[in-house]
Amino acid sequence: MINFKNFLKDKIYIDLYLFISITLLSIMGLVFLYSASQGNIETIIKQSFFVIFGLFLMFIVSQPDPDFYKNNSAIFLIFSLVLVLVTLFFGKEVNGARRWLDLGFFTLQTSEIIKVALPVFLAAYLYDKPLPINLFNTFTTLVLILLIVNLVRIQPDLGTSLVILIAGLYILFLAGLSWRFIGISSGIFILSLPFIWNNFLEPFQRQRILTLLDPNADPFGSGWNITQSKIAIGSGGLQGKGYQMGSQAHLDFLPETETDFIFSVIAEEFGFIGVCILLSIFLFILLRCLYLAFDARDRFCRLTIGGLSLLFLSTVFINLSMVVGIIPVVGMPLPFISKGGSSLLSFYIAFGIIISMATHKKLMQK
Amino acid sequence: MIDLNERFSEKRNFFNRLIFVYVFFGVLFLYLIYKTFSLQVSSYTDYELASLENKTREFLIQPRRGIIYDRNGEIIVNNKPSYNMILDPENVDDINELIFEINKFINLSDAEIKNINNIFPNKKKLNREVVLKRNLTTKEIAKFEVRKYRFPDIQIAERYSRQNLYPYLFSHSIGYVGNLDEEKLQEILSSQNLKSNETIFTYSNGFLDGKTGIEYIYDDKLRGLFGKKIYEVDASGRLLEEKQVIPAVAGEDIITSLDLSSQKVAYDELNNRRGAVVAVDINDGSIVTYVSTPSFSVNKIANGLTQKEFNELINDDDKPFFDRAAQGRYSPASTIKPAIGLFGIDKDILDWEYTIQDPGFFVLPEDGRIYRGWKKGGHGEINLKDAIIESSNTFFFSLAYRTEIEELRAHLSNFGFGRNVCDDCFMPDNGLLPSPRWKMNTHNFGWFKGDTVNVGVGQGYINATPIQLAYYSAFLATKGNLNKFSFVQDSNSANKNIFTSKNITNTDWNNIHESMIGVIESPRGTAGRLRLLKDYVIAAKSGTVELVSTETKEDYQIIRETEGKRDHAIIIAFAPMPNPKYAISVVIENGESGGSVAGPVAVAVLNSLVKND
Repeated sequence: MINFKNFLKDKIYIDLYLFISITLLSIMGLVFLYSASQGNIETIIKQSFFVIFGLFLMFIVSQPDPDFYKNNSAIFLIFSLVLVLVTLFFGKEVNGARRWLDLGFFTLQTSEIIKVALPVFLAAYLYDKPLPINLFNTFTTLVLILLIVNLVRIQPDLGTSLVILIAGLYILFLAGLSWRFIGISSGIFILSLPFIWNNFLEPFQRQRILTLLDPNADPFGSGWNITQSKIAIGSGGLQGKGYQMGSQAHLDFLPETETDFIFSVIAEEFGFIGVCILLSIFLFILLRCLYLAFDARDRFCRLTIGGLSLLFLSTVFINLSMVVGIIPVVGMPLPFISKGGSSLLSFYIAFGIIISMATHKKLMQK
Repeated sequence: MIDLNERFSEKRNFFNRLIFVYVFFGVLFLYLIYKTFSLQVSSYTDYELASLENKTREFLIQPRRGIIYDRNGEIIVNNKPSYNMILDPENVDDINELIFEINKFINLSDAEIKNINNIFPNKKKLNREVVLKRNLTTKEIAKFEVRKYRFPDIQIAERYSRQNLYPYLFSHSIGYVGNLDEEKLQEILSSQNLKSNETIFTYSNGFLDGKTGIEYIYDDKLRGLFGKKIYEVDASGRLLEEKQVIPAVAGEDIITSLDLSSQKVAYDELNNRRGAVVAVDINDGSIVTYVSTPSFSVNKIANGLTQKEFNELINDDDKPFFDRAAQGRYSPASTIKPAIGLFGIDKDILDWEYTIQDPGFFVLPEDGRIYRGWKKGGHGEINLKDAIIESSNTFFFSLAYRTEIEELRAHLSNFGFGRNVCDDCFMPDNGLLPSPRWKMNTHNFGWFKGDTVNVGVGQGYINATPIQLAYYSAFLATKGNLNKFSFVQDSNSANKNIFTSKNITNTDWNNIHESMIGVIESPRGTAGRLRLLKDYVIAAKSGTVELVSTETKEDYQIIRETEGKRDHAIIIAFAPMPNPKYAISVVIENGESGGSVAGPVAVAVLNSLVKND
């Protein structure tokens, strides 16, 4: 018995805190989704499959030694890059966007894979570079990030490309990008904002930003989504309207209830108390990741845990800020809650990698 | 490879940066939670309301308008039901097949079918009822009823339109209703704490409100309170479920003092001549007869006139819309003489013994201007009583000559001249009781003694409406103790006007009454030919309003070639004497003789009133 327990401890790599909290979040997600999809059984069965498969995948991904990811990160990146390129030419077009590869049993959103592969690759690339990161490495990294971000942006998928950009920059920042470089490039970025506004943003994207500044200017046009979302959240009050009792969600006032605006449904039906409970689970996961990053065995592991956890943090933050009307509407799911297999699986994989980085110790550090 | 020192500094550097990002996001998350808190807790009420408004839609239910009765409980204005065939489109997929099936037993015109086809898709989308056919006959209803089981989505619904059972008799007294304009509707809804997010006037003839007469004055009472049906709707506006029904409260019925039979008599007697009759019960000032002719059909006005019919009414020279009873201005002419006589008594200018010599005219001392009477050669030596009976102008010219105009005005005002005498009449005119100041303002001329002399015989600037003349008549009948007139009695608001003067005694009033009885009963009375038309005693005073001043009868013969220049006939009366109950005034435009033209109308109406008591 004792031997068996030791065997498990030695051979099975698992972080119970993360595993339990993510499982809990996934189950809550299924419960929320059932209401948000108006009780659509098919949606729930499909999502349940992804959850079970995803948890299994997370477990599998956490077993190999971090060195496996470090040594093969380039292969993963190239593989996912090929997928993205294939998508660009042969992807399934939905509403004018080519984001999905039809695999028969499952349509894969390939940008979700590269979202995880890029930070791991960058961590592997930068972990042995001297501090501060020199200009050459900074530029090669930046060029790679921008290349991939643009491949995703032209699908078009602004939300995901934004997250990939942020994830790449986190790694660069955590790896020791010089403050001087940060300062200068931030200055240039701010100065070029008007130029970006005029030349890089589509009219509908500009409209979204303007809508954010004054959603009441056109409550039935572009302000509709955000107005209805605020009404849904606000009318939930402290205790919520009750499970499946949200009129905003169930009478079609709220758009995209299963994906982008699922948080509004939760807030409407479970109120501020429900929101606080949900946010504390997210917070717990994030703090656990922070601890694991401190505890990691080497720089590669640290960078990977830091980068992937910030990727998760940013996704959550962008989604929540969007639905309460702090930032413009960009397509962004709420991790482990929103409907959508690709996004779900990518986060299970990301946490699988985090657990692998955190649980594989070396007796003697180099 | 990096060395150990560098590794430590790298690790510290990494942690600093990671914590930096975490703290950065921590702050943002706090803001996010604050934002959520402010939405859900601080502004909860606003958003709860917004959510409620999102998902509910209210439909107004129109209340049944109050019924209007005459004083004997006869219905005058009612709500006439009509029946529409209504379809609930939710479960209907093929409207043409349904139309085909209905057409087998109820004929739908091409226009109706076209209209149904036009509105059906949208109504179905929003789940709103479709009117298949309006105004079903009883036969059509019966045909449908036996086949009802085959059409579970169709029902027959009632709607009401306003119907006056005597559309020409009460056009000016009760008035008519019309569609409520949007502004008025909003005002009414807000007064009942209703919002009109969406107002669909199911089955109703639109929202009605009174436009004139009693329908207007008592609109608030007659209207009742709106009810509403509250539905849950989804984002596309589709009706989902009936949540709540607040029934409408029917309007109050109104019992007026109008008397149907006397109203009929007055209308028939006027026989479409331009004129007006107003009769009242003098005990409470309630109006029992109120007719202005020519008239028009209020039902046609309320339920829609063709443009041609409307133009005909508007361009009619006889002005049927014009309410002569409350708005027509006529000189009181000789009918004013009893009031002038009373003034003479009151001011001790004369007594009942006092006589003058009447040569047939009065010469104004100031400028030698001659004021003529109606009788060539005059009435000889004459006292006040005979001057009323025979209608001597000279007597009243000379009496008025000795009065002060301001004092005379105050006196005449008591009798209803120059002021509103009715509580609930629609837009009554105040007539004109002229004063020197008025003359200066309007004619830019000073007041002459001759103007006062003219007032003495009710000519010149002074004029009054038939309702004021009726008030004057009733005031004489009650010996100066009269309620303000009204169609609907409300004891709380009764406004009594009591005439007090130490100089005028009951005997004086009785003498006035006797003089006015003499107008009919005396051989020399001006309205003697009315004597045989009734079997009780009537007190009266006739008048003939000169529209054009003429020197001789021959001149008048020339003038009367043009109908519009003929004299107006006018009479005031009260009966039965000696204890009068009703007072009346009759004006017939260009009727020429007060006694013989207006008189018979007054007697016929009084007959109807007195006999039916």
